[in-house]
Amino acid sequence: MEYIYAIAILMALYVILATSFNFIIGYGGLISIAHPVFYALGAYSSALLARDMGVPVFLAIPAGGLIALIASVAVALPSLRISGDYLLIASIGFQLGILELIKNLPWTGGSGGLTNIPSFLTQTAGREAYVAFAVAAAIGSVLLLRWIAQGPYGRAMSAMRDDELAFAALGRNAMTMKIAIFALGSSLAGLAGGIYVHYFRFIAPGQFDILQSSALLTMVVVGGLRSTWGPIVGAIALEALPQAITFVNLPPSVLGPLQGILFTSLVLIFMFVRPQGLIAASERWHGRNEEVRDARRA
Amino acid sequence: MLAGLEVTNLSKRFGGIVVADAIDLTVPSGRIVGLIGPNGAGKTSFFNLVSGVVPPDAGRIVLDGKNMTDLKMPQRARLGLARTWQNLRLFPSLSVLDNLLIGARDYPGERLATLVFQPGRIRRTGKAERLKALEVLERTGLAGIADTEIANVPFGQQKLIGVARALMNDPRCLLLDEPMAGVEGHAYRAIQKVVRGLAESGVAVCVVEHNVAFIRDLCDEGVFMFAGKVLARGDVESLVADPRLTELYFGT
Repeated sequence: MEYIYAIAILMALYVILATSFNFIIGYGGLISIAHPVFYALGAYSSALLARDMGVPVFLAIPAGGLIALIASVAVALPSLRISGDYLLIASIGFQLGILELIKNLPWTGGSGGLTNIPSFLTQTAGREAYVAFAVAAAIGSVLLLRWIAQGPYGRAMSAMRDDELAFAALGRNAMTMKIAIFALGSSLAGLAGGIYVHYFRFIAPGQFDILQSSALLTMVVVGGLRSTWGPIVGAIALEALPQAITFVNLPPSVLGPLQGILFTSLVLIFMFVRPQGLIAASERWHGRNEEVRDARRA
Repeated sequence: MLAGLEVTNLSKRFGGIVVADAIDLTVPSGRIVGLIGPNGAGKTSFFNLVSGVVPPDAGRIVLDGKNMTDLKMPQRARLGLARTWQNLRLFPSLSVLDNLLIGARDYPGERLATLVFQPGRIRRTGKAERLKALEVLERTGLAGIADTEIANVPFGQQKLIGVARALMNDPRCLLLDEPMAGVEGHAYRAIQKVVRGLAESGVAVCVVEHNVAFIRDLCDEGVFMFAGKVLARGDVESLVADPRLTELYFGT
């Protein structure tokens, strides 16, 4: 049973990560790979706040999200000021840099990982409660981002992706919008990190490396960029797939590389055969029902 | 203070190419000024400098007494400067109505903080802006296609949408970049009517156009540009009749 709970929580967390990553690269059109690092920042911050500073876990988790948000603004602000392309380069540097920092700082547990992280909910309310907590957070994140994407903010994001110059000439600030998108997406990743860490109670920098970035990218691309269900389906399917392979009883030396090959070939196959992903988003922006209804009535 | 657009000593060069050479040009509020000149005379560059696409090397740009030389493009738009583009630059993923809504000067729902903390304000403004957009569509004869995708709209009407989108800003100054190229019939007359109406309500309008008949019909006066300079200013008839300018226009 414990195994099932762990999988359910991981799926919920990957739904948050893929959905928020989709918000950044799909809706924002921002090319970044550093999403796992914001996940790591949330996880480490929450773990250290709760373990070493006695902050209650229910406060430490949102604090982790806040730290991820601040870090994301610090990365996005200078790189977006120059040009959007620099965000990709800055994000690679940021990912490598932060992971090196975690490996070498005296209070992060180093490459061996951080242990003895306080648990949350499981002792008082049971593991089922934690599953519910993670799933609720996933549903909340999906609904929040969908609500934003289908409202006036989503319309503006569409316009910004279509034509930044025309967007600016109409009095809109594309840079502010990009930073807000990046910050919101990254803070959700940070939140997911906090939820992860107080259940599994162990983290190591190796969990947040570039392979993790490619896994998230695979989830979004295979699921369907810029759709609500795409990243959800992608996250659940690609989280289930490696678990399924483990049942085949292959030796671990084969298993690891096999997963890498599987993810990479999936991205390649989808890029060529079905670039829109499993669940294709409409090319056209569609607003919430109330907006459409209002327009028709008026 | 002059109401309208006031440009003094505006200069810009890209390497060896001078696109604006100490341009002095005023467009008083309520007037329609046409920019005429051959390709490469610097007409669109002038629009790009005024709207803030490129920063000038020197000079001053003032709208209704407010100096906007050092402001970025979005801030200039918020002071009431609107423009259209030669190649339209509509938003293809949005419907006609949604294209107009991006043109509204202030739309609080586009700020995340307001979205979360003041939903009531968003609902009210959103509704007001939608009504206004529908009114502008009505005025430009586009009401029937409010819900249509841009790709499914004929070219002439797309030009009209570009103008209608600029109107959503309630501009104090409107820069129209070749509004008539490729446009005829209903859309032609609609653009003409709308632009005239705008000038009557006190907007300063500046038009770049190769269609001399349109300039003659619409503009109060013309400005002849060549090699980044303003060569002559006067009523359109006399500019067109000037043999010296005609020679520059058609080349020798």
